[in-house]
Amino acid sequence: MKKMILVLGIVTLLSGVVLAAVYTGLIPRIEENEQAALERSLSALFEGSETPEFEELDTEGPTVYRAESQGGDLLGFAVRVTTTGYGGEIRLLVGVSPDLSSIAGLEVVQQVETPGLGAKIAEEDFRSQFEGLDPSEPVDYVKNAEPDTEENEIEAISGATISTEAVAEGVSDDVGRAVEILSEEESRQ
Amino acid sequence: MKSSPSIVSHFGAGLIKNNPVFVQVLGMCPTLAVTTSVANGLAMGLATTFVVVSAATIASIINRIVPGQVRIPVYAVIIATFVTIADLVLKAFFPPLSEALGPYVPLIVVNCMIMGRIEAFATRNAVGPSIADALGTGAGFTGALMVLGGVREILGSGELFGAAIFGSGYTPMLIMILPAGAFIALGLLMALFNHLQAGGSLILRKAA
Repeated sequence: MKKMILVLGIVTLLSGVVLAAVYTGLIPRIEENEQAALERSLSALFEGSETPEFEELDTEGPTVYRAESQGGDLLGFAVRVTTTGYGGEIRLLVGVSPDLSSIAGLEVVQQVETPGLGAKIAEEDFRSQFEGLDPSEPVDYVKNAEPDTEENEIEAISGATISTEAVAEGVSDDVGRAVEILSEEESRQ
Repeated sequence: MKSSPSIVSHFGAGLIKNNPVFVQVLGMCPTLAVTTSVANGLAMGLATTFVVVSAATIASIINRIVPGQVRIPVYAVIIATFVTIADLVLKAFFPPLSEALGPYVPLIVVNCMIMGRIEAFATRNAVGPSIADALGTGAGFTGALMVLGGVREILGSGELFGAAIFGSGYTPMLIMILPAGAFIALGLLMALFNHLQAGGSLILRKAA
């Protein structure tokens, strides 16, 4: 009885010590990698402008980054969007123009949709459809028809309605809310 | 640790005769889920090999002082420790691979192949043979995952290690990288492997 407790106790204690040491040693690198991945996606949103600088805004609701050029000009905002698709969580970054009137771009940070079908949400053809849409209005999708950009429409990926809907809804909800909050703050200033 | 014939045979047993995937049919969850490409299969195989070799080494050293009643919890803690280390190392040094393998790295902990090797071999043998046995099993697992990943990547994406191998005229067989393709490819490969084993193909005998 005593031996059982002793052996299991020592093994779990050693395991804890080893894991604590490995974790402490590696966590700076892991956080660095995550930061680098985020910055890559952020930079891709504001392509053309050379190495923009980002600052996370202290707002309620979705996480928002403020992008500035090296010269200090406001390039726009990036909103973090989390939504649930067919295969699991989808994480997006959506760029919004400085005057909050249009979507500047969409980057897929993480997705586990079906390869060849839902995974097409990460392709340029699908993502570019969001450019120029109005972020304060809900984004709709149409199937097998020409989308009307005036009506904030995108064309659904055939065979992947659930993935399309997830992205459209995520953008409508999170970006819509972020734009609302940002414009409220602006009018207060 | 001298390499004696028995150590070589322990290694070979895990690699071919008792191949964890094609013969023992163990560890099916990662086998089917992550083998959409060769690189994924290789990474999963190596991570699992690291865990099985490390855990089997420790288990064979401490098996005399572990009372029978707490055997399973002790080994489960040891396995979980090495799995967490593997997960952290992948995240720190190979973020794209870690992303691709997703939750399947932490799930190595429930790969019954690992507990199987420890229970069936490492607790009853000295350190040398236990390492050889675990290495053989790990190599067999890695090899099987790479073959499966290779077949699925070539047919399903028209690529190998991410490089296109067919001309642009090739339409990828999408089903091969979907779950259904995993079952189809695994079934056919298993049949082929067992046929070659039984039929005595020279190539496979030599590899053993």
